[in-house]
Amino acid sequence: MDDMAEQVTARLAADLDDGFTELVRVHATAVRAFLLRVTGSATEADDLGQDTFLRAYTALQGYSPQRRRELRPRAWLMTIAANVWRNHVRSSVRRPVSAAPVEEVCQVWPDQRPGPDERAGTALDRNRLVSALAELPENPRVAVVLRHIVGLNYQEIAEVQGCPVGTVKAQVSRGVGSLRQLMATEDPPPREVSK
Amino acid sequence: MTTNDEGAASPQQDVESALAALTTSAPVDYGLRVLRHVGISVERYDRYVRLETGAGGLYVACSPHAVTGAMMETMVVSTDMFEEIHWSRTRRTAIRSDTALPGLRPAVRTGRTKSLPVDLSSVDEEHRAVLEAVRTVPRGQLRPISWVAREAGVGHEPGIVTRALAANPATLLVPCHRITAEHGSPCDVSYPSGTGRALRAAEHIDMERLAGLSREGAVFLGSRTTRIYCHPTCAHARRITLRHQQPFSDASAARRAGYRACRSCRPLAV
Repeated sequence: MDDMAEQVTARLAADLDDGFTELVRVHATAVRAFLLRVTGSATEADDLGQDTFLRAYTALQGYSPQRRRELRPRAWLMTIAANVWRNHVRSSVRRPVSAAPVEEVCQVWPDQRPGPDERAGTALDRNRLVSALAELPENPRVAVVLRHIVGLNYQEIAEVQGCPVGTVKAQVSRGVGSLRQLMATEDPPPREVSK
Repeated sequence: MTTNDEGAASPQQDVESALAALTTSAPVDYGLRVLRHVGISVERYDRYVRLETGAGGLYVACSPHAVTGAMMETMVVSTDMFEEIHWSRTRRTAIRSDTALPGLRPAVRTGRTKSLPVDLSSVDEEHRAVLEAVRTVPRGQLRPISWVAREAGVGHEPGIVTRALAANPATLLVPCHRITAEHGSPCDVSYPSGTGRALRAAEHIDMERLAGLSREGAVFLGSRTTRIYCHPTCAHARRITLRHQQPFSDASAARRAGYRACRSCRPLAV
């Protein structure tokens, strides 16, 4: 993993476009997974993921080779993704397009694993967890998703969130705690189709 | 509704592992969409697809103009492994896609891969000549190493052909599974022998019959009616009826018996 990360940054330093293809190959899935779980919507995750990489590319164009080599791509991309998402939330509060979550569409998205039979058993739990996640406040939600779904360490999450490591640990543990509560108390969440 | 408590116990205990299970894979062509959105030139990376063949899945990577690499699914443990091997061979990133190079799908389906553009520039020149010769072996047929060496014009140094086969970047599309050692046993050097067996079985090559022939010392088959001798898998040899088949252990025996070499499979005349 370290080896691979080094390779990405070395290629970014040598040739931006070539290194960028490698950056996308290695990290696109993780960025999208992060966005999918914080937004709860596959289409939004797709769009915001593309914007994330566009911003990353624009930023890289202004970086010196030295700076590109020292980059820690995963945490850096997650920082951009988190900012892109926050901006998106702010602007969609000002300009609401549709109030309904697109998670219904996401359920039939053809490329999602695990397959139908595996899902059938856990679908209920998954759905509840996904909607419980959506009820967390922004900061704990980002921290929990980064820690347990993307798998960053606390140090990296602290970089993404721009706060001390201790704060991140507290956010994660409180976030998981409230998820537990939500999962325990909540009845299967109201998932009525809007329309 | 009650939660089903097989495997995953009560939700209180394993919120964390349930969260870990929420990792999802992106849509197949997600990376490609990102690169397009950012505006990276298509010349800077390769796309790859997974195709179904008679011998299992095949990953094929293509630049916008030609096939740059291919591996059977049985040769790698994951798509990541294919991507990394592809990079170490070609120094180009392979991005998953769902649209294949035009003409690739029918070529793989019908096995007519001769006219497919395959980029062999990652291989050095001598090996490239060998692989180009290997590409001319028709589907369902086998050729010995010495035949390949003559077609490629690389002389008799024995290692060259096997080294070239080992460097083959495009499994199946450069059909190195159709190359055998002189006595007829397959020469699978770039993949596990199970992969080679599956590739030959998918082309209906009857290895048992050929092994039987080579045990009897029959390297070539002649026809008593036409007085022509062929490689046993040549399309013409397969049409010879049993009672007209005349086995030969080498080309000079055939010539002494008054037979000439087949002009389509061009066996080595000694």
